[in-house]
Amino acid sequence: MATASISLRDVGRTFGATRALAGVDLDLKPGVTGLLGPNGAGKTTLLRLLATALPPSQGQLSVLGLDPEVPAERTGIRRQLGYLPQEIGFPRGFTAFAFVDYIALLKEWTQPAARHAEVRRVLDLVGLSDLGTKRIRAMSGGQRRRVALAQALLGSPRVLILDEPTTGVDPEQRVTLRTVLAEIARTSIVVLSTHQTEDVAALCERVIVLDRGRVRYDGPVTELTGQAAGRVWLADEPDPAAKVSWRTGTGRYRNVGGRVRDGVEHVEPSLEDAYLLLRGGSPEPETTQEVAS
Amino acid sequence: MTAWHLDDDALRRYVERTDSLAEGASAEQHLMACEPCRARVNTTVTAAASRVEHSTVEHSTVEHSTVERSVTELSMTERSVIDFAAVWERTRDAIEVPRPSVFERLLRGAGLPAQEARLVAVASAFRGVWLTGVVAVLAFAALAAAVGHARGMWLFLSVAPVVPCLVVASSYDPWMDPALEPELVTPYPMLRLILLRTIAVLALALPAVLVSGLFIPGETAFAWLLPAVGFVAVVLAASTWFSPLRSAVVVSSGWLAVIWLLAFRISSPDAVLQAPAQAAFLALAAASFSVFLVRRRRLHQLRPWR
Repeated sequence: MATASISLRDVGRTFGATRALAGVDLDLKPGVTGLLGPNGAGKTTLLRLLATALPPSQGQLSVLGLDPEVPAERTGIRRQLGYLPQEIGFPRGFTAFAFVDYIALLKEWTQPAARHAEVRRVLDLVGLSDLGTKRIRAMSGGQRRRVALAQALLGSPRVLILDEPTTGVDPEQRVTLRTVLAEIARTSIVVLSTHQTEDVAALCERVIVLDRGRVRYDGPVTELTGQAAGRVWLADEPDPAAKVSWRTGTGRYRNVGGRVRDGVEHVEPSLEDAYLLLRGGSPEPETTQEVAS
Repeated sequence: MTAWHLDDDALRRYVERTDSLAEGASAEQHLMACEPCRARVNTTVTAAASRVEHSTVEHSTVEHSTVERSVTELSMTERSVIDFAAVWERTRDAIEVPRPSVFERLLRGAGLPAQEARLVAVASAFRGVWLTGVVAVLAFAALAAAVGHARGMWLFLSVAPVVPCLVVASSYDPWMDPALEPELVTPYPMLRLILLRTIAVLALALPAVLVSGLFIPGETAFAWLLPAVGFVAVVLAASTWFSPLRSAVVVSSGWLAVIWLLAFRISSPDAVLQAPAQAAFLALAAASFSVFLVRRRRLHQLRPWR
């Protein structure tokens, strides 16, 4: 089987007069790629394009060597795709098992025995094997999110698109999900958007930062973090020149960016520090129109 | 030692797991106590495994994995006379697999395959909205019968045709179908899903027509069918541009306005019931459905109104 790949060339998407994405060039290979960016940066639009839920307004998009604009090829992509949307609802009265079983039916799992085994497998992966018969309406937000994630994992897809998969999920389960996703990413392309920089730091070898519909950074997580080296320090007072400053649990102030003074205590930068520096320290992109995600 | 033994067919069904839960449990109870039958299990397993290995297998992932699992299961059975894994699987199925709803059983009874029936019955619209619509039609039919011939018919005609198009719109509007986005990116054709739900609505509306025919004199009880089909087709076509529910609301409001206007201008609804008007509704249905089919590509991706 050929190595999975996704390619975007000058891809853009507009909604009427609103430009959500512009001039995006990306090549994605197996592994976990994290997507960071503020609200309205175009993350959800980009993920919808990759999931074939939306067509691009301009540019060339190829998923697994197939063109999503061609109906037969789009179906071919969808056979190898798992997608977790940012917002997902559930039919009234459904249990976790019933919902995942329903999506499995749509994913062409026609043999009942094989389908039920697969549903159990993915519910087990997300830690819900004991809650298959529980009604989704009676579940917590984190449990519902895991049900939604389970449907995306059906059939071990070669392309897994996850829009904020860990929202509402407790820390223990997040660690479990990281393990699951890391295993899948050995052979599949996993793209996830999140506001949790620690998830990206822990899981992704590559990070893409979007801002106002454009790619602001695309590269290794370590390289982005490295850009903040020497620009994060602790002091007894907040530094007015710092890009961001906040009081930590020890009572000292963590200052990110700005003018570094002598005698301050430098600390190891986190991905969040680097992201904040990138967001706050770079010139505004050329996009002039208002954008929506 | 027991006096009777499992016959060959029962043993084969047990080994191949094609027996029912009760039958399987009964066979296992017997095997616990009967050594000769336990010995026959091994022979049957070998024969079944041989059949599986020599069967022609299409190289789809699902079917391939099914065969692999069958062989694995059979091997497990060889090691352990009682296949606890199989029993456990069946027990879990009995607990976890949802039982078909009344509505789903109704669809199966109407001849829809089990898989299709499940896909149709899942729509939230069918879990209350459809029932509300049918009750509304019946209520208006009864009211129409009570208030007299002409006024009653106007009343009935104003409501009956809009109910199917509202229910059809509800069956795939994102507002009513919150799982639309993950449904959309599956290989299952959205066009097929929408048409299945549409046909199910229309087919299930027929009993309401028949019952309402008991209350409404003349042909009125059936005269709303063509307008209804026409409006459903308009909603399908319009939903390639706008939200299905919004389209249905506009169509329904338009129809209500026309009916009330006609009711004030002409006393008898015969004009609506006669052949030219019915033919016009048929033409509307055909034209709208053609537009829907031409623009069906738009159904496979999120539309701007999403």
